[in-house]
Amino acid sequence: MPTAPSSTDTTRAAHTSPGRVQAARRAVQDVGILFRFRAQAVRRRHLSRGLAATFVLVTLAVATVPAFMPGANGPGKAFDVFLLLPSAMAGILALNIASAVASGGGRELLSRDQASPYPISPTTDHLGALLLAPFNIAWMIQAWVLFGSMAYSYAGSKLFQAQVAMLLWLVFCTTLGQVVAWTMEAVRRGPYGIGITRGLLVCLALAAGVVQLTGHATEALDTIPTLWVFQGAVSGWAPRWWILLALLLVSSMVAIAVGAWPTHLAARRMPRDEARMETDQHEPRKMPRTVLGLLIRADRASVWRSVPMRRGVLVLAVGPGLVAIFGDLPWASMTILPGLVASGGALLFGVNAWCLDGRGALWRENLPVPASTLFDARAWVLTEFLGVASLITVGLGALRAGIPDPEEASALVCTLLVVLLQVVGASMRWSQAHPYPVDLRSARATPAPPAAMVGYSARLATSTTFTSLIFSGAARVPDWRLSVLLAIPCLLWSGVRFERTARRWQDPVARALVVTTTAA
Amino acid sequence: MNEPVVDVRGLHVRFGEVEAVAGIDVQAYAGQATALLGRNGAGKSTTMRVLAGVVPPTEGTVTVAGHDIRTETLTVKQLTGYCPDVGGLVPRATPWEHLQLSARLRRMTHWEDRARDLLERFELGDVMNRVTGGFSHGMGRRLSVVLAAMHEPQVLLLDEPFDGVDPIGVEATFDVIADARARGATILLSTHLRDLAIQACGSVLVMRGGSQVASVDADEMAGEEGARAYRALLD
Repeated sequence: MPTAPSSTDTTRAAHTSPGRVQAARRAVQDVGILFRFRAQAVRRRHLSRGLAATFVLVTLAVATVPAFMPGANGPGKAFDVFLLLPSAMAGILALNIASAVASGGGRELLSRDQASPYPISPTTDHLGALLLAPFNIAWMIQAWVLFGSMAYSYAGSKLFQAQVAMLLWLVFCTTLGQVVAWTMEAVRRGPYGIGITRGLLVCLALAAGVVQLTGHATEALDTIPTLWVFQGAVSGWAPRWWILLALLLVSSMVAIAVGAWPTHLAARRMPRDEARMETDQHEPRKMPRTVLGLLIRADRASVWRSVPMRRGVLVLAVGPGLVAIFGDLPWASMTILPGLVASGGALLFGVNAWCLDGRGALWRENLPVPASTLFDARAWVLTEFLGVASLITVGLGALRAGIPDPEEASALVCTLLVVLLQVVGASMRWSQAHPYPVDLRSARATPAPPAAMVGYSARLATSTTFTSLIFSGAARVPDWRLSVLLAIPCLLWSGVRFERTARRWQDPVARALVVTTTAA
Repeated sequence: MNEPVVDVRGLHVRFGEVEAVAGIDVQAYAGQATALLGRNGAGKSTTMRVLAGVVPPTEGTVTVAGHDIRTETLTVKQLTGYCPDVGGLVPRATPWEHLQLSARLRRMTHWEDRARDLLERFELGDVMNRVTGGFSHGMGRRLSVVLAAMHEPQVLLLDEPFDGVDPIGVEATFDVIADARARGATILLSTHLRDLAIQACGSVLVMRGGSQVASVDADEMAGEEGARAYRALLD
């Protein structure tokens, strides 16, 4: 009769844990396996290949073409850009840290539930998140801004060396952001973690506020060590450039290796935010008067009780608002903010809006309520979510911008309305056309796979930025009616497309496909 | 015999090139419980989804209490109570919020006592204000049965209600089925657990590869003889 192995059983030696080097090697191999697994699941491969080729071409163009533009490397605007580059580098580092912290350690190669049957180590998870970091339009835009600014302000024989240094700076920012994010996640999951994290954020905000209010912002920016990095980057083939390169490479490697430690620590601890959300008590409230009201309440609960959405909207609403305050953004330029925030907000759940119900979609679809009411409720909640975030950002920006002129106010209100309808319309359209089964419990969850997210974010960023720039121009024309005149055709166009999507939702076959896919 | 409450004739459901249901006929009557048995992928859940108005039929006719599921989907949804095979719960809503939504949409009044009673019977009273995202699989299944049964539907559709459920939950589900039969409701129960199906139902419909291969009294599927017959139908 077989018995359980005893403590003296020699066969146990075969099951001892691998050494650190072996474990690290295995983790790297596992990242490759998982990445290939994810790549196999990409539905439209030709499109993904096209997107990858476009990214490389755009990056190469951005890193070289501005050097041949009029005024490049000159004493005017190009010199201003040159002076601002060290601050931009610091901003990129801050943004990388903030986005990695907000997403609880970055994206997952395989979601928590899907990964649960497999022996995937936290190191693999950490490396996978690093690999996926550039698959994000925000990261790409930062890279393009950095390369483009460098090419425009520093055109010449040393541009190649400078761009190589900028590339390594981006790598360093990404790896350091990941280390900070995992450390914060480990702290947040520890005793009093949520309180400590919130306290830290409040202290940072207060410190920034004090620096700004006491007029020391410029001095503070000048003391940032990025100036040293920047000087090294523009020193051509000089020894300083080689030293900088070696330092950035070594620092990045160290950050990758060190990042594994807080990742393991966090993995051993319970994700408190998520656990709290899932065990919170919500006392019953009085029934709303209408069915639509009840559905809106249910959808609102799905949004605001989700960790990624709460964190994401906080970062999205407050981050650009603080940039507007510290950058002293004028009202005419503030038209760029609603589009930015609304696009970012849609990427939290809007582009796959029906995934909010998770597996409850099947039950909800059996409820005796017209399909149009379900559509209206979901679209309203999305609009509300994006609208609130945009208003918070604009409100923060307004703290320093003062009272707007009628044409500035008109341009801003029109931008807000146009981009909201644009983004909500596109989101509802994509949610129907490309539904994904996603569990938005984890702070690291995204509503669609990485390649799809890049596509969505690029399209949203392009359309909303274009709209925002039009209204930014209109804000400078001394007639408030111009913005209204421009807004009318935009609203009509987006309204017609939105209505078409709403009509398509009435088709039971199309709806069944969405419901069964999101509930899968 | 009376007119069937659930009348499915020549039902086909296709998802692209995949034929999930390939021409089945189901007739279920008031006060009767019918079990849909079969292996994974036999088309049981798809049939249930069609009857719940979640997936439209590709071909064939489906009527529930005389209402065509294609043209009167909303009415059919009013008449049915559906426990889906997977999840069936909105992750960030509490059980009570689910019940509120269902009651409101079905214009129910004075439903609270029955809802509390059902939650207690399924041992979910203590968690009625907790979001369902943190529920165990068994708790989720039990709540799905409560949601399906709460409004005392004319047709009760239970898809894999025993999956991962403890004995108390199984007993409570049996009670729900017995209560529904006693008040004249039609019950369709999809499962791959033969023993539980024949305990709860009077007739059995066996499906294989999207088609119906047998329709017999539950007694004929009981015992070792029944197990052998069932096995033969599956192979």
